[in-house]
Amino acid sequence: MSDALAVRTPRSLPLEAALLAIPVALACAGLLIRFLAYAATADDPSIASFAAGMCRWDCQWYVKLAEQGYDGFPTPTLINAGNWAFFPLYPLLVGIVRALTGLETIVAATGLSLLVCIATARVAWPLLGRNLRAYTLFSAFLLAGPFSIWFTTFYTEVLFLFLTVCVFAALQARRILLAGVFAALLSATRIVGCFIVFAILIKIWLRHREAGGTWRDFIPAVLKRPDWLLAIFIAPLGLFAYMLFLHLHVGDALAFSHVQRAWARPTGNPLGFLWQALTTFPAQGWIPTPPQQLAVATLVGYALAIVLLVRRQYAMAVYALMCLTAPLFAGMASMLRFTAGLAPIPLILTQLLASSRWLFAIALLVFLASGYFTTIGWLTEYLSLV
Amino acid sequence: MSSALRIGAYALVVLVAGFELVVFWLMLHPDVPPDYRAYYIDKTTTCLNQPVAGTYALGTTIDFTPDGREAAKPLRVCGWEGPAGDGNHAVGTSARLRFVYTEPATALRLELRLVAVKKDDQPTQRVTVSVNGQPLGTLTVTGDPPQDFALDLPADLVSEANGHIEVEFDLPDAVQMRPTDPDNRRRSIKLVSAALIPA
Repeated sequence: MSDALAVRTPRSLPLEAALLAIPVALACAGLLIRFLAYAATADDPSIASFAAGMCRWDCQWYVKLAEQGYDGFPTPTLINAGNWAFFPLYPLLVGIVRALTGLETIVAATGLSLLVCIATARVAWPLLGRNLRAYTLFSAFLLAGPFSIWFTTFYTEVLFLFLTVCVFAALQARRILLAGVFAALLSATRIVGCFIVFAILIKIWLRHREAGGTWRDFIPAVLKRPDWLLAIFIAPLGLFAYMLFLHLHVGDALAFSHVQRAWARPTGNPLGFLWQALTTFPAQGWIPTPPQQLAVATLVGYALAIVLLVRRQYAMAVYALMCLTAPLFAGMASMLRFTAGLAPIPLILTQLLASSRWLFAIALLVFLASGYFTTIGWLTEYLSLV
Repeated sequence: MSSALRIGAYALVVLVAGFELVVFWLMLHPDVPPDYRAYYIDKTTTCLNQPVAGTYALGTTIDFTPDGREAAKPLRVCGWEGPAGDGNHAVGTSARLRFVYTEPATALRLELRLVAVKKDDQPTQRVTVSVNGQPLGTLTVTGDPPQDFALDLPADLVSEANGHIEVEFDLPDAVQMRPTDPDNRRRSIKLVSAALIPA
């Protein structure tokens, strides 16, 4: 047995039970960690107000979206920033859960996010090389780690991560059409989800090469496989469905993109934005500025994508590189969230950190401790966490 | 895969591709009002007109700091952000206010209290004020402390206005505060208060 499997389950605990128990235990630990941070910062903390108290920034937009749906034009509050930039699938799911349970929206969202996180960890098991240490770290990253604030409140990142993991798990199991179905859902979750079609194409190409095919007969081979063709065509279906809705609702299928003007996002050269952020030095002291932190997060994301390339995990690598680069054309805003919520990044990171026992132990401790401190930062509106 | 299933799958591919082509065509042909097109699509203005009521009582000075938030809101047509502590900030290259009143009026004076947003290479801000499309004059705003301006509205303009005054501020000196700021983030003035006073 390899050293990678060194974290063993107790003999009395079947593997399936362990695979459930680990994320559930970490979900409980994460809730406790975040509640302690919440209690340390809130004026009048209580369990009843915890879920709402954790809802910051875009979370509040998602709550309103789940409750009231999409703005028309003009917007009801007469502001330029309509909520069309927020993709529909996760608010729709939360709205359904809210309607079925009668729970407050943010409570329904928090509960659903926790369940989706646990499901994400379970689906990721084969992608983590069936390595329990990596599985534990990945679960901790989602449920109790520094970025669990996004995955366990009401942000679309959690569903985005789950569906991305589903696509790659289906691709690994050589179930191309199923991957296409998950991809369609992914493209209704975040715009960059559309890039997953390139991961599917790469897997199809690799299958074609395995069968002795060449680039010359690639297209004829794909045309002979209606299931592959269908997977490719349905991959962006979620986006197209949302575009049709927007056309019918506000008359502009690209409203999700055009509304970025109201958010005053700049457009420019990604390298320029990155350099500008890296060189935004603190006016005093040594703590890196929020732009520097965002730039470092982005560079770490690129480095891990290159590790994926080196490991010949081409589909994940190409997808990660595209998802990291596309938002950079609009500046550095939210790049920490985009990097942390990009499934191939935590998947490869946790595998690397699981490579030895001591590294695993340190990483787990750092994840849990930083879960507390980033929650404090989140609640005190630290800018790089937007 | 059976031949029936293959045919079904191909049919589904054609159906999905057809749907996507239709949506693509719709994407190229937006069906939106002119204001929407000008702001979001063509980007020919930074000032997206909002259908505010403009409800106003002549002679009232409207406070555009946070204390006067509710009274100021129905007057802000476009191009304003805030209120912040020191007023509403103009963003972009133009901004508008709307005053809709029911009192009879023959002559009015527009009173404004403004502060310039200063940058090293732009110590003052010019503001060209127009009312219902008719230019009234150009103000030069120099910065803190707030400056008071008064502009008399011509009597014929007031009588033709029929209780509906649109004040447009053109801001030719609006500056980018950061190198990557887009045009709708250009900064120029802060509006502290405004009033239409019967003369």
